[in-house]
Amino acid sequence: MYLSLNWLKDLVNIPKSTTPEELGTKLTNYTVEVEKIENQAAHFDKVVVGKVLEVKKHPGADRLSVTKVDVGEKEPLNIVCGAPNVSAGQLVPVALVGAELPNGMKIEERDVRGEKSFGMICAEDELGLGNDHAGIMVLDKKAKIGLPFSQYLKLDDVVFEVDNKTLSNRPDLWGHLGIAREIAVILETKITKEFQRILAEKIINDENLEKLGVKVEDEDLCPRYAAIKISGVDIKESPEWMQKRLSAVGMRPINNIVDATNYVMLELGEPMHAFDASLVPEIVVRLAKKGEAIKTLDGENRVLDNSMLVIADREKAIAIAGVMGSEGSEINPSTKTIILEAANFNAVSIRKTSTKLGLRTEASMRFEKSLDQNICEAALARCLELIRETCPAAAAASQVADMKKPAPNISPIELDLNWAARKLGEDLGKKKIVKILESLGFEAENAGPHLLRITVPTWRATKDISIKEDVLEEIIRIYGYNNIKAAMPMAEMKAPLENAERKLERRIKNILALGAELTEVYNYSFVGEEKLSKLKISPLDYLRLKNPLTNLQTMLRQNLLENLVDNIKSNQAKYERVSLFEVGSVFWDAVGRINKDSQRKENLPFQIKHLALVEAGTPAADVYDQVKGKFEYLLENFDLTARFEASEMVPEWADKKTFAKIIVRGEEIGSAANLAKAVLNSLGIKKEAAIAEVDLEKLARIILSSAEKTYEKPNKYPALERDLAFVVNENVLYNNIKAEIEKFNALIAKTELFDVYQGKNLPAGQKSLAFHVTYSSPHRTLESAEVDAVQEKLIAQLKQKFDAQIRNF
Amino acid sequence: MKNKLEDLKKQILDELAKAKSGELLRELEIKYLGRKGELSNILRGVKDLGAEERQEIGALANAIKTEVTAKFEEIKKETESKETATGFVDVTLPGKKIVRGHLNPISIIQAELEDLFISLGFMVADGPELESDYYNFEALNIPKSHPARDMQDTFYIDKKNAEGEYDLLLRTHTSPVQVRAMQKYGAPLKAVVPGRCFRSEATDARHEHTLYQFEGFMIDKDINFSHLKGVLELVGKKLFGEETKLRMRPKFYPFVEPGTNGEFTCLLCKGKGCRLCKNSGWLEVIGAGLIHPEVLRAGGIDPEIYSGFAFGFGLSRLAQLKYGIDDARLAMSGDLRFLQQF
Repeated sequence: MYLSLNWLKDLVNIPKSTTPEELGTKLTNYTVEVEKIENQAAHFDKVVVGKVLEVKKHPGADRLSVTKVDVGEKEPLNIVCGAPNVSAGQLVPVALVGAELPNGMKIEERDVRGEKSFGMICAEDELGLGNDHAGIMVLDKKAKIGLPFSQYLKLDDVVFEVDNKTLSNRPDLWGHLGIAREIAVILETKITKEFQRILAEKIINDENLEKLGVKVEDEDLCPRYAAIKISGVDIKESPEWMQKRLSAVGMRPINNIVDATNYVMLELGEPMHAFDASLVPEIVVRLAKKGEAIKTLDGENRVLDNSMLVIADREKAIAIAGVMGSEGSEINPSTKTIILEAANFNAVSIRKTSTKLGLRTEASMRFEKSLDQNICEAALARCLELIRETCPAAAAASQVADMKKPAPNISPIELDLNWAARKLGEDLGKKKIVKILESLGFEAENAGPHLLRITVPTWRATKDISIKEDVLEEIIRIYGYNNIKAAMPMAEMKAPLENAERKLERRIKNILALGAELTEVYNYSFVGEEKLSKLKISPLDYLRLKNPLTNLQTMLRQNLLENLVDNIKSNQAKYERVSLFEVGSVFWDAVGRINKDSQRKENLPFQIKHLALVEAGTPAADVYDQVKGKFEYLLENFDLTARFEASEMVPEWADKKTFAKIIVRGEEIGSAANLAKAVLNSLGIKKEAAIAEVDLEKLARIILSSAEKTYEKPNKYPALERDLAFVVNENVLYNNIKAEIEKFNALIAKTELFDVYQGKNLPAGQKSLAFHVTYSSPHRTLESAEVDAVQEKLIAQLKQKFDAQIRNF
Repeated sequence: MKNKLEDLKKQILDELAKAKSGELLRELEIKYLGRKGELSNILRGVKDLGAEERQEIGALANAIKTEVTAKFEEIKKETESKETATGFVDVTLPGKKIVRGHLNPISIIQAELEDLFISLGFMVADGPELESDYYNFEALNIPKSHPARDMQDTFYIDKKNAEGEYDLLLRTHTSPVQVRAMQKYGAPLKAVVPGRCFRSEATDARHEHTLYQFEGFMIDKDINFSHLKGVLELVGKKLFGEETKLRMRPKFYPFVEPGTNGEFTCLLCKGKGCRLCKNSGWLEVIGAGLIHPEVLRAGGIDPEIYSGFAFGFGLSRLAQLKYGIDDARLAMSGDLRFLQQF
């Protein structure tokens, strides 16, 4: 919303010593956020009225003239001008050296083909006043030479731009009057007589006049409807002063009637509407019929439903109540009699209607905040007064119709001063509190030694202030948030409840980033159809957004993989190796474990955290080993090991040959895989990529349920190590061989794979594995011969079971 | 073939014996053992031999390679120790490069703040990113058709409830966790909530639809406004340095009353005024207030017995301020040129 300083000055005494900037800061610090302050005069800094004294042809250029221009200084200025219409005697706007024009042009002293030029005679477009560039702007003959151009245009206002969001809880601040009331409090000054007059004004009802037919069918949705017929109206331009004010606050002047209603809205905060009385025989405020159509003032045909309130005549809707009027009843050039409406509508109903229609107007924005219905009479009177400025013959042609539901009783709020002191952290004293509240229009009545009975003024009572906490805010706001002393709370000394999952998550991140050389990425929680189709993932059970921003982000991700692939692609040209991890939530269209509301009847959709590790580079086998190795390294930090198991079910995005389930403590928690070549190609990834993605919540449960670490004494008897290398068919799984070795003999304490080889020197389809096998006993020193004997048998066993061909070292 | 190999071995060992300098050694290493070295060539040729010969020659070649490699290492060590003893050591050479990974800057700041509050006795609470209308709005005193809903552009899930309403959404702030935590733990309660939030607005250098917030709240008997100020001052000092000051002004949030906006002394100009703070000397960082009695009630806490304060700020914005990041989208970009700076 925009505020005009001149307008405010009509309504509140603003001391001369208060600069607009100070006023803006105060408003921001106490009431609403001022986003911008614009001084209109600054627009045309160093542009003045000048008189062209002489015009000569430029000796070196046919189309240019050399002029002498009097700008009110000692000597006239030499200015080169290219406009065809320049001639001696004209009064013109002159941009002096140093001026910066609205179009960004900076005026400097220049040499134009040998002639010095000390400024520029401006055309309309150069001043941002229109599109005309045919010639220079010629000013009124009476203009004073040397007068700043802004003064010539009578631009002397300062415009404040207020952030509407900071007004959303203050229905009373949607007009200059309400802001003026606040300014009086925060500058500790007074509202003007004009303020009081406008508010007190009423149209005196002449009972000899006809009664205006108004019927309100739903008084809950329209608690008040005041209207009057005015005759003697001529449609013309509104007065210049009014047009200037409206323009200053961003409202386009239209005609004297529409401008007057807008002016009242911007002044009193009460949206008004004017109908052509000849087109509106009577007024009914009712709910729309289902499917009822109306052509609104913006030229749109709109279809209504039966929850929307309309203003209607006998047959049809003539306005959507509190939102917008219709073309059929609007003020037109031949209008002679009008009906003025100042009403009050239910805030929720207006908001629903305007949301449903996608039609937000200055009126609906105000009504949806819950306006004070007491302002309606003053609004009618003020509007008639403004119309009379251009139509002195305008007069009431009917009695005032004023349909109103009795205003709800505002019950007083009891304010316990001890309570207030406890909430503020200091006792401001009754006197100060009463003074603050009264300055804001509250009544504070003594109801006990520490008790005030507070009556809220009607303009604050619609929604804004209803409980003692609201009153407290008013006190603290005007007292000044910054005047309250800071103090630390006293609380029982107690160790906070530990969030073990969160702590673990942080530890995992540290291990992966600082130990496993991975870089942590954050990706969006969204994914689109196209990506899923490239990954050959079916969008089944994906949750969809109702209002996605782009078609790349229409659903909620189910796997971190879906967006991690983008990270590989975007980094692949700059990095040989891309090593990443992410911890993030994934979502399913299925019932989850978290309650949806306090009744706990339903649960939210399924959502859990995943952890994913990514390695991209070459060759494929290497990135796969890396990603598995880094995951194993992570587990090792928690004394856990991972088992990788082949799976029948391989998702299509994965390379069929390199996909394994990850099993920790017997529980499957995720998978490790290379991405299939075809998928990489369709994604535009030029590297090999491997990913390990697991359910972080499962992993956390396993880790957190692990027994506490206990110290094991080192075996005092030395261990013996034997190496075991053999060639087997490539189909024989490591997991099975390892299990076989480990269970073979009680003396075997540890087996560790240290080499895998396939390729040169080996027949096709064969692989060579090499293990360190550690033999030890907690009871005695082992004999070499004894160990060799076991190893012999082990070799025989492996040969028999796996057809293993032992290689000698 | 066999002889050829034996000859080569002899040749290598002879030359090795003569090699005195590290440089010469490296040359020899490339000549014989390198990828295109003579020995490697022979090894490559093995595959073309007959089966029997292949096994024999292969084994021999491998044995020779092992022996020669060992000899190389031995002589290398010798010459190195000789060179060190007599020659010059460039101590300015860097050490062995150890690669490290990187945490997202938001994770780093989040951890710092969590630790601060844990040390003050606050717990770290969690809540779902996909929330219900109830917890994200209604329980926070933002009923349906309340204009305050406009303050937060919301992503809704395309799924209606039994009443035909869209009541699932991506949380627009971390505040729903206030009510969830109250219901779970009761009062007194001290908690912080870091987490991912969403706003359905187009992204550009200044806007990001996915953002991180950090929320804190404390509920006890007689918690008051000056306590909120005390805690916020501490946060400011922790974030921007000991000299940081706090300035407050009224701001409307439906879930607090009174509501306030907290500004800290600009961390760049220390309050003198600069481009970052738009010459005001202050940076608007925090939204805060005393918890609205309706919110306490929604959490099952009696506002006549308990009161509380709550505050929240954008972790993403804080990371931007702290590290001078000029584009709001970078934290979510996965760009290693950015991430590897942290």
